[in-house]
Amino acid sequence: MKALVVDDSKFSLKMTTNLLRQVYKNIDIQCADNGYLGFDIYKETNPDFVLVDLLMPGISGKELIKMIFDYDKNAKILVLSADVQEKVRKEVLDLGVIGFINKPFNVEKAEKILDMVGKCSNE
Amino acid sequence: MNNSMSMKEDILKEIMNIYIGQAASLLSEVIDKKVELSIPNVEIFNDKDFALANGKIPKFSNGLLMISRISFENELNGRADLIFPAEHIKKLVSLCTGEDQLYEGVQEFTDIDFDVMKELGNIILNSVVGGISNLLDMKVDYTLPEVKIFDTIEIEKELNEDKDAYILLLFVTFKIEGTKIDGALIISFTVESMYDLMGKIQEIEKEL
Repeated sequence: MKALVVDDSKFSLKMTTNLLRQVYKNIDIQCADNGYLGFDIYKETNPDFVLVDLLMPGISGKELIKMIFDYDKNAKILVLSADVQEKVRKEVLDLGVIGFINKPFNVEKAEKILDMVGKCSNE
Repeated sequence: MNNSMSMKEDILKEIMNIYIGQAASLLSEVIDKKVELSIPNVEIFNDKDFALANGKIPKFSNGLLMISRISFENELNGRADLIFPAEHIKKLVSLCTGEDQLYEGVQEFTDIDFDVMKELGNIILNSVVGGISNLLDMKVDYTLPEVKIFDTIEIEKELNEDKDAYILLLFVTFKIEGTKIDGALIISFTVESMYDLMGKIQEIEKEL
């Protein structure tokens, strides 16, 4: 399984990738600390799912989500954000992402990703 | 202060206590350790009261502070600061990264310390400001979080420059693995945003 994690915080990237590796033993994870790099890596690697932070300098998470969907309408994108606002969650889900996960990331949240990605693939 | 204002302040303090409690729970998730929380002390000032009162940040009077900050705008407008004394930052970062570090002065802060504090502030401040935003059903857009080193005088000076603002000052002590870490949260609202918040609190009061 291939994953892409896009987050401007190196600490958050490290925490997220450690937890993903703990839960999914054979996962291949690519990381990007900004949206431009994230989009480039997406095009190169065509990951099974993408975890995107919303609040980032340069390209915001929402802009990156739109760019990825313009490139690949079947992309499986999940948002990983500290934003707890219901309105923001709805706005982002309306873009077509398959899940909205609130930070901090943990094992339970990591375990649910496969279900979300799997359900989406079966639809 | 009349009874009605006292009740409104009481409701506001209780709401803030709930969001701080949620923030402590998130902090506990980040560091994977039990976090005990003191009952937060919440004080509300308008800009004139704040300018008149001295030494609002007494617990931090003797040292440098690391401040993680986000500003917010849209239907609610203001700024939120999460403040920890600099000497406690290494402990917090150690707990977050699992790597031991010693505080040897402000010049020793690394990019990792700043990055961890930025992310910690992002999570905790989003919990509190986002909670208020959900309560009011009003959307906010955040600026990128930033981390700065200040001393108490500088932070008070900055707050005194926030004209036409209402300031919520919350002191909180986190106890993690026997270490007490004093922190503070300062939320500065514009008059309009405070008016909206107090309007909502009035609705809550009527329903009591």
